[in-house]
Amino acid sequence: MMQATLRERQIEQKRIALTGNHAVALAVKMARPEVIAAYPITPQTPVVERLAEYVNNGELDAEFIPVESEHSAMSAVIGASAAGARTFTETSSQGLGHMYENLPIAVGMRLPIVMGVAARTYSAPINVWGDYGDVMSMRELGWIIYIAQTAQEAFDTVVQAYRVAEDARVHLPVVVAYDGFWTSHVLQPLDVPADEEEVLKFAPITRNWVRLDVDNPTQLGAVGTPEWYWEIRWQAVEALRNSAKVIEEVDVEYGRRFGRSYGLVTRYMLEDAEVAVVAYGSIFGLVKKAVDRLRKEGIRAGALRLRVIRPWPTWHLQKYLSHVEKVLVIDRSINHGGPQLGPMAVEVGATLGRVIHCALATVGMRAIDSDMIYEAALKTHKGLWVAGETYTVGLRGGYE
Amino acid sequence: MGRIETVWVGRGGQGIVTATYIIANAAIIDGYYAIANPEFGAERRGAPVKAFLTISDAPIEDQEPIKMPDVAIVFDDKLIDLMRFVLDAVRPGGYIIINSGKPPEEVKKIVSRDDVYIVVLDAIDIARRHVKLDVPNGPLAGAFSKVMGLPKLESIRQAFENQLGKAVEENFAATKEAFETATVIPPARVDPSARPKGVISTTSAFLAGPYEIVEWTAVNKGGVVFPGTSLHYRTGGWRIEKPVIDHAKCIMCRKCWLYCPDDAVIEAWREVEGPRGRKFRMKAIEFDYDFCKGCSVCAEVCPTGAIQMVREI
Repeated sequence: MMQATLRERQIEQKRIALTGNHAVALAVKMARPEVIAAYPITPQTPVVERLAEYVNNGELDAEFIPVESEHSAMSAVIGASAAGARTFTETSSQGLGHMYENLPIAVGMRLPIVMGVAARTYSAPINVWGDYGDVMSMRELGWIIYIAQTAQEAFDTVVQAYRVAEDARVHLPVVVAYDGFWTSHVLQPLDVPADEEEVLKFAPITRNWVRLDVDNPTQLGAVGTPEWYWEIRWQAVEALRNSAKVIEEVDVEYGRRFGRSYGLVTRYMLEDAEVAVVAYGSIFGLVKKAVDRLRKEGIRAGALRLRVIRPWPTWHLQKYLSHVEKVLVIDRSINHGGPQLGPMAVEVGATLGRVIHCALATVGMRAIDSDMIYEAALKTHKGLWVAGETYTVGLRGGYE
Repeated sequence: MGRIETVWVGRGGQGIVTATYIIANAAIIDGYYAIANPEFGAERRGAPVKAFLTISDAPIEDQEPIKMPDVAIVFDDKLIDLMRFVLDAVRPGGYIIINSGKPPEEVKKIVSRDDVYIVVLDAIDIARRHVKLDVPNGPLAGAFSKVMGLPKLESIRQAFENQLGKAVEENFAATKEAFETATVIPPARVDPSARPKGVISTTSAFLAGPYEIVEWTAVNKGGVVFPGTSLHYRTGGWRIEKPVIDHAKCIMCRKCWLYCPDDAVIEAWREVEGPRGRKFRMKAIEFDYDFCKGCSVCAEVCPTGAIQMVREI
């Protein structure tokens, strides 16, 4: 949170009530994309519907392309972005899977596309509900990946995403993910700028990325032979690595102007912690509640929320978690067949250079409450759960 | 004020989610913090739906499933038995708000609790008159505002504007009438230190069917589903009104049988007594109330007016 001395310069905000989906649609509208191509899929549908309304009623002057599939949605925004337009698309689950072929192309061509994902698990069996299976399958492609906790943060992060993506030091596509249903369909209070022009002032369209221009003819997406591919791709690798600095810079400046900033990770009572719970998405409020209960019982618990998972916040995790004896990562997606079955647990463990604790929860949107998280942290603390193994929270007949 | 935790139960299509959005939005307009976090199930019309709504004077970061609500709102009195676990979990001194056309004292008997406020209103009747639809959510919002003292009626009107964007005045008129006319039965006794009889479990409450909730080792491989039947799903519970036939007017034309979308009109043998006391069997039209959804198509098409729709909730 910002210091009081800076507060008077902040942009005036108004309090409204929206679901996560509608908060994202509003942020997108305020960022004035010029081309939107999207295909509706649960739980993201209200975003697409609301954006179509904005375009239809004249509130947003954008080209809205009602494509016939997600593959076309990503193709259309790649084409539009390559032509120099600010773009937006959004999807979930199998819809993301359907655009998969085009996702690394946006990276290789260095296009600043912004995409929302209302996180939903993958079929089969058909399950329209939320977990992070879809988002986790994007980790190796070169996209910047944010995971928001609330409707407010989703709103703020979309605005930040445009600024980061179009920064000349970055020029990479960005995905802003948030819980399907538990954020996308939950109505919450949020503050938005009273004057929406402030958003465009904060994130003006830079149009400084490589793009097609009839006056200066170029070709984008050409062949990269074995002699060239690696070097061209390596620029994207370095850009993603260095984007952490830009993400933090933009976040701090956003905080100064709009009064809210979040960091790459969010910390809670970690300074003297002996056991820490690492999580992501909407359940972090429950995690904090569990931490409070453990503290009340004399256990020095803490928590950390992963907000940006690409680029990976290596330095932050080492700084904030190295001293913590037991680290439990609650993963909301299955890393099938992995060394530990939680994708983030594997990465956090590698970052800390030691074997940590891992539990899976909310898979297919299995219900969870703070008591269940409390129990998991307590079992970790007491040594009933072993580091390196994978435990489950809520699976019938699971490993608890 | 602290924190008010509420649970709303009804059926898909009754506007439960919208109702929680409207109250949460209105509370936020009033300057409170609020979060409406519905439980999302199959979203099928008629399927039981449960939604949570928390209002607080401090920011709410946790989306905790509510276990012991201060208020339970029941959209349909036929849900009382199915949702007994919700009513049992209401804190002593709390509120149970019920949509029912039955006399309040009778509703009180069905609820069978004397340590909570019971609020009764015929939300269907109010909604029909103002909104011309069987959506009890506007009136229930009005009853909520009446007994909880928040949100303000004017804020509810603004929330209708935000959340519906249409039929605002009609819905608001229904809300206002409910606010003015809902019957409030105070508790006979309240022991504030008492705990409710049960708590609402975090696991989804709507695992309802002729199956066993088994562990992962025992579920069907690949989620394969074998041939089944919808006979177990008694969709008759959705009804607001039921068809009643006057056999004296029925000419056995079977138009109702032809038009019934649910195969719920049946031809049954009926035993009748002739003028000289002789008993004999004759065919007659009856209804299968386990599956009749109360759509009233039969009453519409009946050429002699033999079928009347009668309120059930």
